[in-house]
Amino acid sequence: MSDDSGLWLLSLGPAGAAGLYWALYRFYRNTDKSHAFEHETAVEAKPVTGSDHKINEIKGTQQTRINGDNVRAYRKRVRRLRRRDPG
Amino acid sequence: MSRPDNSSAPEAAPTGPGSPRDVPPAPGSFPIDPETLPDPIRDEVLAPDPIAINTSAEELKDGLNRCPKCGSTEIRQKPGSDLLVCLYCRNEWHGQRVEEEFGLGTGLDDLEGTIIASGAQNIAADAASLMSFKCTGCGAEVTINTDNAMTARCHWCRHVFGVNEQVANGAVPDAVLPFHIKKDDAVARIRQFVDKRRMFALKEFKDEFTPENVIGVYLPYMIVDGKASVDVAGQGEIETRRYTRQNGKQKTTYYDADVYQVERHVDFTVDDLPLESSTERGNLDTAANTNNIINTILPFDTKNAVKWNASFLSGFSSEKRDRDVDHLHPRLEDQLLSIARAQIEKSVGRYDRGVRWDEEDVQVHGSRWVSMYLPVWLYSYQQPGRNGGMLHYIAVNGRTGETMGSVPVQQWKLLLAALTVGTFIEGFVITFLAFAS
Ligand SMILES: [Zn+2]
Ligand SMILES: [Zn+2]
Repeated sequence: MSDDSGLWLLSLGPAGAAGLYWALYRFYRNTDKSHAFEHETAVEAKPVTGSDHKINEIKGTQQTRINGDNVRAYRKRVRRLRRRDPG
Repeated sequence: MSRPDNSSAPEAAPTGPGSPRDVPPAPGSFPIDPETLPDPIRDEVLAPDPIAINTSAEELKDGLNRCPKCGSTEIRQKPGSDLLVCLYCRNEWHGQRVEEEFGLGTGLDDLEGTIIASGAQNIAADAASLMSFKCTGCGAEVTINTDNAMTARCHWCRHVFGVNEQVANGAVPDAVLPFHIKKDDAVARIRQFVDKRRMFALKEFKDEFTPENVIGVYLPYMIVDGKASVDVAGQGEIETRRYTRQNGKQKTTYYDADVYQVERHVDFTVDDLPLESSTERGNLDTAANTNNIINTILPFDTKNAVKWNASFLSGFSSEKRDRDVDHLHPRLEDQLLSIARAQIEKSVGRYDRGVRWDEEDVQVHGSRWVSMYLPVWLYSYQQPGRNGGMLHYIAVNGRTGETMGSVPVQQWKLLLAALTVGTFIEGFVITFLAFAS
């Protein structure tokens, strides 16, 4: 322990209570469950193609991840491009 | 003029967890390490999940299938299989699988346009719910309400009638997947599921818990094959340097990174994607209902579905479809986009600081729609409360036995337990701090 007194440890109690509450609530109610169709459907995919171009360099940011990281949030829809808009 | 394309789908997109918006957690995962919990809670959380037991569906014994060899109606499902067996001449045969009948397993790569099986056509507005038959045995009139049943028995001569013709356009599905899980088995699974969740369950729920009241229901789904292409574009970051700076007592970590413009394209086919084809069941808003429970027990072995035959529905309830292919197209595109994004994830592993997709696009080159009844054991409990309370389901997949449920909680008990554990941790922290200073 340095002399930054470790008072932040006091937040462990409330955090533990809240964490346990939500964990048990979900264990009983299962509101977070749904069919994982991304992994449970038979999908035949051709190899993924694409391009990667370096466009910028960041120096000295404190953020650990890219802003707005959604690489694992498959179901969060982003702006739809409509290349063949019928209207 | 209204826009005919978009006005046909006034469906509010479901939100809440468990909706098509949130990726569900891995099965069996618990967000807290159970070893850190008090013994009784840990035991409950770690208790085993229901085990799969494969049994026959004796309930089908009333079916009026005729034996193709001798014409007898004494036909049963052979235990543990989809075979039908004639008790008179011992002939055995398989219901016609739609897979071969309609050529559903093949040609995914050549799909073009929208192919709709006869039972998946738009439901005619005047399709009657009540259908009447004249009994050939005794002349009595037998009525079937197709909202919740597809068979009925003549009260006088015990003859069984089924809606076997696709008379009412779109009202009768193309295929049915017969129950494999017996009622006893479903009851045992539901009991096991609830036994694992008793400590904080609502008292009224425990008092009234009678899993024997479970009912077998055929629920309406559209089973969709599709061929699609998806494009996504966004930015990804790769860490190039990481360093810490001491600023007084404070240590801060800084990162340098290269930023890339990333674009990806994938062509793919999907086989047998199941979509709820009833408005009510398709609404997965967990703030308003527990339909996500029924959604979670997907998928089914839809490859084994047999051509529609009402005889399979004897003794079971059923729900009617009210969504047409047009209504479900946005849902299909949504799921195709999610599937593609999951496929693409593997190709952007080098971006160790993550990727932010900004734009996406799907082109559905072709799709094939089959309307199907899928077998579900449903136990329900109506929890009283504001706005009509909440209807909780415990559902068992009638083929695989996969079980999922929503058990209403006794809020004060759960709060008390959480606060007790929190207070215990806090006491530990305070003691620790007192010693450390
Ligand atoms: Zn026979
Ligand atoms: Zn009769």
